[in-house]
Amino acid sequence: MFWRGTFALLPGVLLFCVWGAGSLYAATTTTIKIAGSTTVLPILAEATKVYRILHPELTMTVSGGGSGVGVASVERGTIDIGMASRPLSHSEALRLNTTADVIPVARDVVAVAVSKAVYESGVQRLSLSQIAAIYRGEIRNWQALGGLDAPILVIDKEASRGTRHVFASVVLGSPRARAAGATIITGSNNEEQAVIARSDQAIGMLSNAWLNDRVRAVAVGEGDSGSLPTAENVASGRYAIKRDLNIIVPKNRSAAVIAFVDFLRSEQGQTIVQAVGFHPVR
Amino acid sequence: MTIVLVVGFLLQSSWPLLQQQGIAFVAGTEWYPFESLYGMLPALIGTLWAVALALLIALPCGVAAAILSAELLSPRLRSTVRFGMELLAGIPSVVYGLLGIWLLIPLLESQFELLTGRTLLAAGLLLALMILPTIMVFSEDAISAVKQSQREAAKNLGIGWDATLWRVLLPQAWPGIRIATLLSMGRAMGETVAVMLVVGSIDRIPEPFYNLLQPAQTLTSRIGREMAEASVGSLHWAALLFCGLILAILAMAISLLTHRQRLVV
Repeated sequence: MFWRGTFALLPGVLLFCVWGAGSLYAATTTTIKIAGSTTVLPILAEATKVYRILHPELTMTVSGGGSGVGVASVERGTIDIGMASRPLSHSEALRLNTTADVIPVARDVVAVAVSKAVYESGVQRLSLSQIAAIYRGEIRNWQALGGLDAPILVIDKEASRGTRHVFASVVLGSPRARAAGATIITGSNNEEQAVIARSDQAIGMLSNAWLNDRVRAVAVGEGDSGSLPTAENVASGRYAIKRDLNIIVPKNRSAAVIAFVDFLRSEQGQTIVQAVGFHPVR
Repeated sequence: MTIVLVVGFLLQSSWPLLQQQGIAFVAGTEWYPFESLYGMLPALIGTLWAVALALLIALPCGVAAAILSAELLSPRLRSTVRFGMELLAGIPSVVYGLLGIWLLIPLLESQFELLTGRTLLAAGLLLALMILPTIMVFSEDAISAVKQSQREAAKNLGIGWDATLWRVLLPQAWPGIRIATLLSMGRAMGETVAVMLVVGSIDRIPEPFYNLLQPAQTLTSRIGREMAEASVGSLHWAALLFCGLILAILAMAISLLTHRQRLVV
């Protein structure tokens, strides 16, 4: 009899403990939830790490999902700061322009990345129209572009990804343009980088920060005027495929969020932006 | 009750799409959410291919392994094999997906000289590996459950081992094997993460239709990739939930089949 009573009580006691712990936790901490573009993610991840040292009472969570997720989550009210590597689309702006602000925190360039083998076989510069032809499926072999006789592995990105948005608006003429030449579709920058690095005939769109020895950027432009996505070329406007990296914050944000946004745009915050591999906005 | 709720919810959420586009989009071949084109055919075919391929590989292997383990192995070996199979069944699907990326895809690329190993074949092979333990463990139970007296009777009649297997054991164990098949079919159909990582996620019907060495899309991998980015209440959202509805209906059809089989037994 005694034991039966104990077992009946147990779930109740457990629940009470969880509730008690939860409310204690909630009373002593403020939480800032951040989600969205995987391009902006490294900046916010690094910034929150530094910021948490200055403000240990804060709990901050940063997660990915893509720009579309960042915008949609702010709209649903499930997060405090959304990350987006593109401007708001027309319909998003209509829904959000009275309730949220878009604040640029860094500048990024989208590199046209190819596998190392492609780069070394001689494809080191492509014009915008050549890139467009690849993604429309009009050019399917590297030979047509001065490379080896090998089919092109054309990597497209999930439609909501900010990188694709910028790439498609500059190269294909519209952010939602179809890419009939695509071979596969990948999600995050990491996923795409891995595919390019493991292949020897791939082309893809990547943020600058994900380039390395096995994933090379080609110069973009006509004739001799092709330019690489370097800091100078971005600042001078010579490199075309670029964008602002934004955060989206509700207009009725808390004091903690306001302070954090100020930090991001301060000199210290912008130093972090550069350390992660992007260009500052100040 | 829960089933009614789930189906009701899916139907209600995907209603805006049905209302606006009728039912014809199911047979459409173009999926471009931003142009309000929600053709389901490529993903449907992808799902069916992946499941069919997985069953084609896993069913013979699983049943053969079950026969071996139930009839031929010593009890000690048998329990070891069974333990291994149960372990395999317990591995989270994302681990299988990562295995697929690191082992299966490079292997396919080098063996078939493919542009990319992210193909229907990769998804089918991975799913086969994932449902193999289920098929084997269930089939083994079904075969072991055949009464010893039946085996002895067969022996006394002078029937050879293979005839006993084909005429006595397998027919008697068939209902169990069939249930194992249907259950694992459901698992293969609903598997998301592992498939998403290896299938290529592009909405294109294989050309020709039996070409399994092309990237494709399944219903689950599409939901997995796009769910978070669709805003609640939009047509895109409705279309994704409709994919879920199709999966739910297929799953229910499968469990109905299983159920009827049980009644017959």
